[in-house]
Amino acid sequence: MTKRTRAVRLGTAFTAAALVAPLINMASSASAGAQATYPRNETLYTSGTAYNPPNNFNPNDLGSLYTGTAGLLYEPLFLYDPIHNKYIPWLAKSGGWQGTNYVIHVRSGVQWVASPSGAVKGALTGADVAFSINLAKNNAADPWNANVSTVQGVSVSGDTVTVHFSKTPAYTSWQDFLWNAPILPASTWSKLSTTDQLTTANTSPVATGPMLLASTTNTQACFSVNPHWWGTAQLGLKFRFKYLCDEENSTNNQELSQLLATNIDWSNNFLPGISALVNGALGGNSGYGIKTYYPTKPYMLSANTVWLDLNTTKAPMNNANFRQAVAHAINTQQIESSVYAGTVQVASPVGLLPSLKSYVNNSVQSKYGFKYSPALAKQFLKKSGYKGQKLTLEVPNGWTDWMAGIDVIAQDLNAIGIHVTPTYPQYATRESDLINGTYDMALDNNAGIDATPWSYFQRIYNLPILKQQSATLNWARYTDKTAWSLVQQAATVPLSNTAKLKSIYSQLEQRFLQSLPVIPLWYNGAWFQGQTKYWTNYPSSTSPTDQYTPIMWHGWLGAMTTIYALANLKPA
Amino acid sequence: MIGYFARKLGTYVLAFFLGATIDWGIPRLMPGNPVQIYVAKFQLQSPGAWEALNKLFTKAFGLNVPVWKQYLNFWNGVIHWNFGVSYTQFPEPVSHVIFSAVPYTLALLVPAITLSYVLGNRVGAMAARRKALDNTILPVGYFFQAMPYAWLALAMAFFLGAYYRWFPIGGAYAQGMVPNASWSFVWSLISHWFLPFMTVFLVSFGGWAIGMRNLVIYELETDYSRYLRSLGASERLVRRYAYRNAVLPQLSGLALQLGVVIGGNIVTEVVFNYPGLGNLIFKAISGEDYFLLQGIFLFIIVGVCIANFLIDIIYVLVDPRTRLSMQGAQA
Amino acid sequence: MTASPGEIGPAAGVEEASSLGSSSTEEVGAGSEPVLGPVGSIAGGGVEARATVAAGAPVVGAPSGLGVGPRQFTGGRRWEFLYFALRNKKLLLGMSVELVFVVLAIIGPAIAPYNPSKFVARPNLGPSGAHLMGTTYFGQDVFSQLLYGLRDSYLVGFLGGLFAAIVGMAIGFSAGYRGGVLDEVLQVFTNIIVMIPSLVLLIVISAYLKTRGILFEGVFIGVTTWPWVARAVRAQTFTLRERDFVDLAKLSGRRATSIIVKDIAPNMASYLFLVLILLFGSSILLAANFDFLGLGPTNTVSLGTMMNQAMLWSALQLHVWWWFIPPGAVITIIVAALLVANVGLDEVFNPRLRAT
Repeated sequence: MTKRTRAVRLGTAFTAAALVAPLINMASSASAGAQATYPRNETLYTSGTAYNPPNNFNPNDLGSLYTGTAGLLYEPLFLYDPIHNKYIPWLAKSGGWQGTNYVIHVRSGVQWVASPSGAVKGALTGADVAFSINLAKNNAADPWNANVSTVQGVSVSGDTVTVHFSKTPAYTSWQDFLWNAPILPASTWSKLSTTDQLTTANTSPVATGPMLLASTTNTQACFSVNPHWWGTAQLGLKFRFKYLCDEENSTNNQELSQLLATNIDWSNNFLPGISALVNGALGGNSGYGIKTYYPTKPYMLSANTVWLDLNTTKAPMNNANFRQAVAHAINTQQIESSVYAGTVQVASPVGLLPSLKSYVNNSVQSKYGFKYSPALAKQFLKKSGYKGQKLTLEVPNGWTDWMAGIDVIAQDLNAIGIHVTPTYPQYATRESDLINGTYDMALDNNAGIDATPWSYFQRIYNLPILKQQSATLNWARYTDKTAWSLVQQAATVPLSNTAKLKSIYSQLEQRFLQSLPVIPLWYNGAWFQGQTKYWTNYPSSTSPTDQYTPIMWHGWLGAMTTIYALANLKPA
Repeated sequence: MIGYFARKLGTYVLAFFLGATIDWGIPRLMPGNPVQIYVAKFQLQSPGAWEALNKLFTKAFGLNVPVWKQYLNFWNGVIHWNFGVSYTQFPEPVSHVIFSAVPYTLALLVPAITLSYVLGNRVGAMAARRKALDNTILPVGYFFQAMPYAWLALAMAFFLGAYYRWFPIGGAYAQGMVPNASWSFVWSLISHWFLPFMTVFLVSFGGWAIGMRNLVIYELETDYSRYLRSLGASERLVRRYAYRNAVLPQLSGLALQLGVVIGGNIVTEVVFNYPGLGNLIFKAISGEDYFLLQGIFLFIIVGVCIANFLIDIIYVLVDPRTRLSMQGAQA
Repeated sequence: MTASPGEIGPAAGVEEASSLGSSSTEEVGAGSEPVLGPVGSIAGGGVEARATVAAGAPVVGAPSGLGVGPRQFTGGRRWEFLYFALRNKKLLLGMSVELVFVVLAIIGPAIAPYNPSKFVARPNLGPSGAHLMGTTYFGQDVFSQLLYGLRDSYLVGFLGGLFAAIVGMAIGFSAGYRGGVLDEVLQVFTNIIVMIPSLVLLIVISAYLKTRGILFEGVFIGVTTWPWVARAVRAQTFTLRERDFVDLAKLSGRRATSIIVKDIAPNMASYLFLVLILLFGSSILLAANFDFLGLGPTNTVSLGTMMNQAMLWSALQLHVWWWFIPPGAVITIIVAALLVANVGLDEVFNPRLRAT
């Protein structure tokens, strides 16, 4: 029996040792000086943005940067408010065109502050802005390189920065630079090699934003309020929380657990079944206190347009009648109600997001637009001369809502006689299929929210078609030279000339609806769920003073009005 | 005997070499170019910038040299404990990512396996000699053993986690906690650890118990047991011999399990979102981080090799028959 | 066979009676062959298939030697088996449970009230008369899904078990019977296969396939789980090829294949049968694991994908237990019944175990 006792003891020892192992590991990895715990009622917990652990805070490495890198740390010159369709001067006090020059007046009183110490490293100057523009201009690999392609040079005089453009400035892409590109500190960033400027992990950032990077663990990055932030003094924006911790995402359902357990306050995940929980009760629970932007359908703002890409270099997708048949055959309404339970909106035939509806020519849309009609779809199919080819429709594996969505689409298409099999390749496979044009049909949502319809039509019509369509442009591989020249023309029209722009876009819309190189299906939601146990006053369509973008995603937090939404939060 | 071990060792080294080579080839066998996919995350609208970035990251991931050189670099990296850079967690080194997950997997699986081994063997041996126990424990054991991990995990997460809320589900400690040496943190660790631990424990417990029960029953009916009894040996002595023989295959099974422990238990860790290696494998799959996968599987290959080799040694040390037959063979 | 049968003590006893671990030198070489028992692989999937290999491995250790010997399959013994089989409660229980589910799997799609993938009702409805097991997040009928999924699970189990048995036996027999260089090569090959994590292999292959079907999953499970079969069969063959009746066959100048098929295999028949049953069960569990991780067949409903979908669509959080409890329960019952039947069969084949 002694042997067995020994075995039991051995087992116990193993257990104890194994349990202690993570403790030791974590004690050694926790960064020195970090807060041991963040008081729950002083901390805002967010999630839904990051899919990797927080180890990269380089605003130029769009592949790996962690939540808050743009927005909480680095800031752009302007913000864009998609709900009210206006620009808000941010690091720029003002800016405007003077001929082919763009003149920026840099805001004064902005400090470069080091994380996590909070030490002030000097003031933001025109030189920093010029440095940031030149950085994008001089490195072809810089993610904003294309935005500054028509910039000839930058001159600085005190806080005034003058950007000199070539004869025909690319107005639209420059405008995108203004509200998207982060302004970097010339003093620290210029010391890095050109490669490091794009790839360094930048774990001790020196930035201007409202928060400082306080600590990171394997699954979260915590920020603390930057006492030197200019926005408090100049705009009266003050965060009521002391800390903001952004949690790395796990699966949608795990995130729903965390939200229901009130471990997360602000969730930007797609959470299946959330519409049932917003007002409903479950298991004796009298409601979960969850808020969405709209209190009822569609619950969410729209974030991007989901397209059905058709590979127009292949038969039968190269036939316009076939594409019309597909467009008329799909019951998008059913996807909206069953897969998304009402949390998305069906796209308009043109597919431009609701925030850009002023650019949609309604008479064109109602004359040429498609709608769900299996009968019409069959007529188009007959005209197309479809010979019964077996086709596939792909979405990335694991994108559960899309996987369920294309199941519905495939059923609809098969119902009118188009033989379609839904497939779910791994993301990389699907990506390479789309880039190399080795697919039949696929969903994509590259057409994200933007201030103008320009990028939407650029994505549809960009030419020439390369062997590898590596940038996220024209995955349908559709050639329409007239449309492409219209898009190029739109790029060089000043944004103030709305009449001209509208006439160009209206022509594009008509060509688009007649040929349908891609088929707009629905608008993916800007998923937002707010837990009211610790914080209230989340952005809402019903509040006239609190209509801000409730989204922490990259491209939103440091570019749209999320900072205002954060500053409006109140303790519960 | 030394010759025997040398031959075995040679086989495992060869197997390791070939296994690692296949492992190295996996990211390169996959359709699609990992760098292309990484750069796709930038959502660039300019083909020119795309080209430039592609070049930059091809270099950053060490893919800008000929394949044969990549292969040599791989072995050089293995020697220097450097498995390249994770691309879902760029620029974090793969080895670092792996080591941050290892403690959780060990904390989960080592106790689950050792405790289930110890208890399972005892209960199994007891069941083998008491009919009453055999009729009660045996069916329970079969059910535990027959359960898919996924289901047991889901059921426990639902009843004890989501419905009654006795235990948290998800993560290794409460979200928002920063690891520190306080009791509240330790408590959080334990309460998050319990359900995944029970899942693995129960399924393996069923396996060990059934295995032991069958082995002991079998041993008790062998000629030597009958012979012992006929010589008038006490039932206790007979059972002791039976137990000693029956425990041998169990022991090598334990060694093998501990050898592959490094692979984690994917399903359980996924259901509970437990941040061990199993979960990491799953994430690496979904994120298509082939360099990370490559690194993890190299660990597993090493583990399997060592475990198999250990089993050979255990057999020689513990089982006199093996020693005997080996000497006979080598003579 | 180095230990003499007359020796007293456990060592000799076990040696004589079975091939538990080490009846010949080469077998020690296999080293872990008793470890890699089928029930072991039953408990896990993918990487953890190996992690749990040992959990039940010994179950095979027990039957492994029992059927060996020319005497077992002569004359009236067959009828004797049937006699004992009909009186073995474990076997009868296991088999009748299995029978019920097999019948359900066959007629399932015919009696299913709804199309399993169609959205037929309101989402997340609890069990009721109209929907015996409620509905899914999408409003699909869970009971119909279960009936369809049952068939797929059985098919995968059957295909996986069959392929593993075929490959494992082919390699095990050749290695065991021929020995020498061929044996060494096959052993290294087997070791390498063991070392390649099947999950990774599945991912790589999946990347090249537009869709994955039941057939693919079955074959895949087969070609990755054969190593322990090969090892066990090889060990058995080693002991058998030394027997007189094999020597006699050799002397008569017959070809190796013929000797293996006509002399060696029949003498392991009972053992091979048990192996097949355990492989069947382990394939069902492995498939459930793959399906649960989203690596299962596409465009079809299986018991594993039901659990996968339930988890993905927040069935836990929305308290939709009727979506994931039934499929897992069915898998558990199927596999447990197989295990019980297996023990029963063991007792039938092995006269020594019958007594107790």
